[in-house]
Amino acid sequence: MRLTGAMEKRFEDKVALITGGSRGIGRVIALKLAAEGADVAIGYYRKKSAAAAAVEELEALGARALAVKADLAEPEKIVELFDGVRERFGRLDVLVSNAATGVARKAMELTDRHFDWTMNVNARAFLLCAQQAVPLMPNGGRMIAISSLGSRLVTPVYAAVGVSKAALEGLTRYLAVELAPRGIAVNAIAAGAVESEALRLYAGRLDLPKPPVPPAGRMVLAEDIADLAAFLASDAAEMIRGQTIVLDGGMSLTQAQAPSEAEEPREPARAPEGGLDHE
Amino acid sequence: MSVEEEVKQIIRRITRKPDAEIAPESTFADLKADSLDIVQVMAAIEEKYDIELQEEALQHVKNLGGFIAFVEKAVADKG
Repeated sequence: MRLTGAMEKRFEDKVALITGGSRGIGRVIALKLAAEGADVAIGYYRKKSAAAAAVEELEALGARALAVKADLAEPEKIVELFDGVRERFGRLDVLVSNAATGVARKAMELTDRHFDWTMNVNARAFLLCAQQAVPLMPNGGRMIAISSLGSRLVTPVYAAVGVSKAALEGLTRYLAVELAPRGIAVNAIAAGAVESEALRLYAGRLDLPKPPVPPAGRMVLAEDIADLAAFLASDAAEMIRGQTIVLDGGMSLTQAQAPSEAEEPREPARAPEGGLDHE
Repeated sequence: MSVEEEVKQIIRRITRKPDAEIAPESTFADLKADSLDIVQVMAAIEEKYDIELQEEALQHVKNLGGFIAFVEKAVADKG
């Protein structure tokens, strides 16, 4: 794993919470912040063994680490997650709202349960986490939401997730303004197709074509997102407020974007719909 | 309450199906359970017994009877 800036210690004496931090992009963000001195709490949904492994990795980097099981669709579980952070660390400097889930169906095939579940985990949880985080955050606190280009581009069977990400980005702007007087900066990262376990799962299960390589010449990696998240969490990003930073290697600037409707997955109605665990 | 009864209760609550349909020979497809239902059933069982279920192992489960046996084994393995 590439951990650029590992010699810097921008987050010494700071505490970060990464939802969905046991695996994938969230885990890499957690390791990045720990490598730069942060103590780290991670929230996870189901994979206890992955969370335990992530805690070991974080501790190996010298961080104090904590894993808390939390179903982010349940408001009381979010309260418990923050109770855990408060009891262990007593403060929170950086909140990374990374956990995401989704039901992969066309908009017209979504049920109210699919939509509500996806919105609750991907968007409402950020609001509830922010409300819990603020009392723990000193001046200089940071919130970073992990969005995706599906918030603005139409991708096959991504309706529920894409709409939830659009809500997440809107919420980022409101929180940025409302929390500015408290010295808390709130921003989002909208990544293109990231070379990740979730992408392999999503594309593999639905038999989607491989995403095109962006103009930058390679796929976006979780480490790229972690580098940007660390920057947004740092003092250097103080004057960036309420922005959604696109991180896609230039993919959205070209026509070589996600597959179009004409290239929709085969047999979409029979494709497995879930799979993007919120961790 | 036995593991079997508790698993059935969880399936009933999440799929919103009557008792009669939660039979050993039924499948999740018979119950019209989609992937969200199955994820929520697995999560509820994991929470209940503090265990971790592997989705991959589900590929070898043919019906609810097999699923219940799968959960019973995971609970027993935990000790």
